[in-house]
Amino acid sequence: MRERKKSSAVEVSSVKKKKEKKTKDNNEPREQKEKEESQSIMKQQKNTTSRSKKEKQRKATEDYQSLRESELSGDEVHGTDHDVDNADDHHEEDQTDGSEGHRGVEESDSSEDEVAPRNTIGDVPLEWYKDEKHIGYDISGKKITKKERQDKLASFLANVDDSKSWRKIYDEYNDEEVELTKEEIRLVQRLLKGKAPHTDFDQYADYVDWFKYDDALHPLSNAPEPKRRFIPSKWESKKVVQYVRAIRKGLIKFDEPKEEEPKFYLLWGDDSSAAEKANHLAYIPAPKPKLPGHEESYNPSLEYIPTQEELNSYQLMYEEDRPKFIPRRFTSLRSVPAYENAVKDSFERCMDLYLCPRVRKKRVNIDPETLKPKLPSRKDLKPYPVACYLEYKGHKGAVVSISTEASGQWFASGSTDGTVRIWEVESGRCLRVLEIGEAIQYVAWNPLPELPVLAVSAGQDVLILNTGLGNEEEQRRVKDLLHVETPTAPDVLDLGLVEDHLLKNLLLALMFTLDGVFGRMASQGRLPLHVFHPTRSIFFVSTKKNIRVYDLLKQRLIKKLETGLKEVSSIAIHPAGDNLIVGSREGKLCWFDMDLSSKPYRVLKCHPKDITNVAFHRSYPLFASCSDDCTAYVFHGMVYSDLNQNPLIVPLEILRGHTSSNGRGVMDCKFHPRQPWLFTAGADSVIRLYCH
Amino acid sequence: MDMNIETPEDQNEENSRRVQVRFKTKLKPPQKVPSNSIAIPSNLTRFGLSSVVNNLLQAVNPEWKSEPFDFLVNGELVRMSLEQFLLAKGISAEKVLEIEYIKAVAPQKEEEPSLHDDWVSAVDGSNPGFILTGCYDNLGRVWKAGGVCTHILEGHCGAVSSVNIIKSDGLKYVTVATASKDQTLRLWKFDAEELVNHPKKIRSFKILRGHKASVHSIAAETSGNMVCSGSWDCTISLWRTNDSDAAGNQVSIKKRKGNNQVEEPQLEGEAISTLVGHTQCVSSVVWPQQETIYSASWDHSVRTWDVEMGKDLSDIFCGKALNCIDIGGEGAALIAAGGSDPILRIWDPRKPGTSAPVFQFSSHNSWISACKWHNKSWFHLISASYDGKVMLWDLRTAWPLSVIDSHKDKVLCADWWRGDSVISGGVDSKLCVSSGVSIQ
Repeated sequence: MRERKKSSAVEVSSVKKKKEKKTKDNNEPREQKEKEESQSIMKQQKNTTSRSKKEKQRKATEDYQSLRESELSGDEVHGTDHDVDNADDHHEEDQTDGSEGHRGVEESDSSEDEVAPRNTIGDVPLEWYKDEKHIGYDISGKKITKKERQDKLASFLANVDDSKSWRKIYDEYNDEEVELTKEEIRLVQRLLKGKAPHTDFDQYADYVDWFKYDDALHPLSNAPEPKRRFIPSKWESKKVVQYVRAIRKGLIKFDEPKEEEPKFYLLWGDDSSAAEKANHLAYIPAPKPKLPGHEESYNPSLEYIPTQEELNSYQLMYEEDRPKFIPRRFTSLRSVPAYENAVKDSFERCMDLYLCPRVRKKRVNIDPETLKPKLPSRKDLKPYPVACYLEYKGHKGAVVSISTEASGQWFASGSTDGTVRIWEVESGRCLRVLEIGEAIQYVAWNPLPELPVLAVSAGQDVLILNTGLGNEEEQRRVKDLLHVETPTAPDVLDLGLVEDHLLKNLLLALMFTLDGVFGRMASQGRLPLHVFHPTRSIFFVSTKKNIRVYDLLKQRLIKKLETGLKEVSSIAIHPAGDNLIVGSREGKLCWFDMDLSSKPYRVLKCHPKDITNVAFHRSYPLFASCSDDCTAYVFHGMVYSDLNQNPLIVPLEILRGHTSSNGRGVMDCKFHPRQPWLFTAGADSVIRLYCH
Repeated sequence: MDMNIETPEDQNEENSRRVQVRFKTKLKPPQKVPSNSIAIPSNLTRFGLSSVVNNLLQAVNPEWKSEPFDFLVNGELVRMSLEQFLLAKGISAEKVLEIEYIKAVAPQKEEEPSLHDDWVSAVDGSNPGFILTGCYDNLGRVWKAGGVCTHILEGHCGAVSSVNIIKSDGLKYVTVATASKDQTLRLWKFDAEELVNHPKKIRSFKILRGHKASVHSIAAETSGNMVCSGSWDCTISLWRTNDSDAAGNQVSIKKRKGNNQVEEPQLEGEAISTLVGHTQCVSSVVWPQQETIYSASWDHSVRTWDVEMGKDLSDIFCGKALNCIDIGGEGAALIAAGGSDPILRIWDPRKPGTSAPVFQFSSHNSWISACKWHNKSWFHLISASYDGKVMLWDLRTAWPLSVIDSHKDKVLCADWWRGDSVISGGVDSKLCVSSGVSIQ
């Protein structure tokens, strides 16, 4: 096919050449026109060679049709002056056809060395020159001006008159009209039919075997097959050996075949969990509307049908609480009316789906039990006071304060009935009753066992009392001491007893420096609480909300502890001296670790009423608080010598037993100095001992 | 007691199973039943069994007066119905069951209490002729049977905390020792047989000083030559009781004569040895053998001391502050102790490698203030508690044999007297005597 096409193009060019030769004598423009025409056809042919045959065919038909149409349009009709020439051409062509057919085929390859076309603009879009006066440039660079256009009517009339006008083609490139010869038209027609352009071209000519001749004894080459075709190639085997060595040395590495993991999947597994695993945005299907139940049947069972009373009760309900659907019975499906809320329901559902964002929320699933701090079992923290076995009865008013003797054999209690009683711990016997006459505020036993004296604050006075215990020697010493000490000025403060003489002097010195502080607090109408550091010369004074820590040697404030409580009611210091507990009027207990910060290490909200007192045990890791709610709480408060370990606080026991009197409950609590026992002094005038 | 009146209960016999039993006893012939086996209903309790035995005895001896008995099966006292007991112990009811019966141990009679002026803090009944008591009014008293006070021991200036009869081996004069909260011990000597119609006041012949705090307990050696005392100063001191070496101390006594209106010479003694080791008050000491002292302390331990070496041999840790200790029971080796909780514990120190108590009796409601073994029986002991009860225990059952509830307030001390009476003193200032406890 392709060959045929080519040959047709060649023929066209050959036709041109013939024409040229024949019309040498013709005037120049004519000659040129022809050349151009052939050129344009050539160009067309060249352009189309690359295209597929079908396309070419279509093009050809179009050309042909345009040829036909041009008769009507009249665009390409230029004039009648060509008529003669055309006729001449036809004639001449007819003559030369047979003689020069073969020559054309032979010269077909040299179509390029034809005369160059008149226009030299090259292969540019022609619309560039649409609005110009010229169509391009000739070979000398001069503008080729456009021809005058005939008006349409005139050209039409001319076409009608001219019987050859259908053969004329307007060549846009060269801006001229070309009249095709009969031969050319025939050629085009043959092309359109898909035949070879020349009639004399035999498409089905016999095959000529050029290599066959009569006396051919042998084939072209009779050489035997060479040996190398039968033996393996040496070069290839060398190459193979090279590769083998390289592989053995490891120079060539192959990708290890990936071990295919057997892919299992849960055949009956839940797909929803698989969807969750994907970390891309998973599609969350809309929740399905509830399927209709039995009650929405057209003929539900009788139990679904509400009675009249129920219907009435629906009327009393709020609009929102009313059931959305009231089941009814119909005799047949035919009689079921249209659902009046259908549109509303679907609208609401759409609204719900639109307004309610469907987001997959990641919820951390934590067992709340695990969030609780791990506390040791109470059993492991024994011993601690558990049960009350002994009661000390005798006071007639609320017992305000108790104090134990250092060995733990006796303790003293002061009451609002104006008496101080000294009790024997083990038997509950009251050894002595000391009448003071005024309501006692505080009692304190001398921590030194050699001097069994008692300091009592009552009203405006601090009294040092002889307990009468101990042997004669000790009694004599006590009497000497008291004789000397009676003239000392009584002070408002209930000092307790100071262990160290040095400290005692310091305290006296300090009393004046602190006078300002106390004076101010006294003006606020409340007694300041205070406590001494057990080993160092440090003194803790509470203001209403804060604790001030003073250094007695340097006589200045070293720290201020912020309790965050409404009103501090009691303080106690750990025997090691680094921890402080503070009870408050709102029932909160603060534990301060002096090494940590000035804020409480722990705040325990345990009592519903005022905490009246707090106490540390001297040797066991115990502390207690007592409150006006008639209970005392016992806690395990372990302080580690390792500074990295924070104190361990575990609530152990609630000790009950006291009864309320005038709104007051337990007024004071003190630990036994050597046993894990707790004394509680109640407003019900009873002192209780809780033992382990 | 309710056991005196016994009636056979035949009503329930019809609808219950029967067991073949054979009664045996170690009692003397009038109380012995024929040893052939009989079938009795299995729902009988101790009361029913007792009535069966009494009926059997009456069949032999028509003049027999019924008497309560207690029953032992495999060494344990029957405290529920026989059927339940056999089930609980896993004893087969197929064979003939051997039931041993003994006389029920319970006080038969409550004597008239002897009234004191103050709390009775200590009592000693080791002499069958009299009872020695110590009181919070600083006096010691000697009581004869029938609630007659014969002697008043006067001289302490603090409450008497413990009393002990040192020598009562047939001599006319009896030596006793008292410990007091005035940090001294006193030795007294009086004629126990003396008949007096008015309490006679006597003074101590020897004062033992040396403790630095209240003396809490006192115990005499078996021979009576020495006493030991436990005190609040955490020590145990050993003292000599003989009055022969007193010459050197006469001077100091004379100094004191000015304010002592009594002309009698008073001796002073010093501790010959002090046992240090306890960390808190030594609340109770016992000296059952010549060479060993047992002590209980508030530091939660029971210690055994070698007297010669002055060192503690063993240490039993209890966990509670202890108030009382006594040695007795099987081979006089079991340690009974009670303290600041309602449990009476009994240890066997011969058991190696354990300090767990072998028995625990927990029927009391408050602190146990005293415990005493019966000096003849291996099984019986009494305990006194602050809940006002004195309980009589038998090691063969976990329930108390009887509860003496005669005190109104705390019981501070208790002891056996004459082997068949329980004496106890308490906060209600009474010395109660419950007699008729028949222990073979």
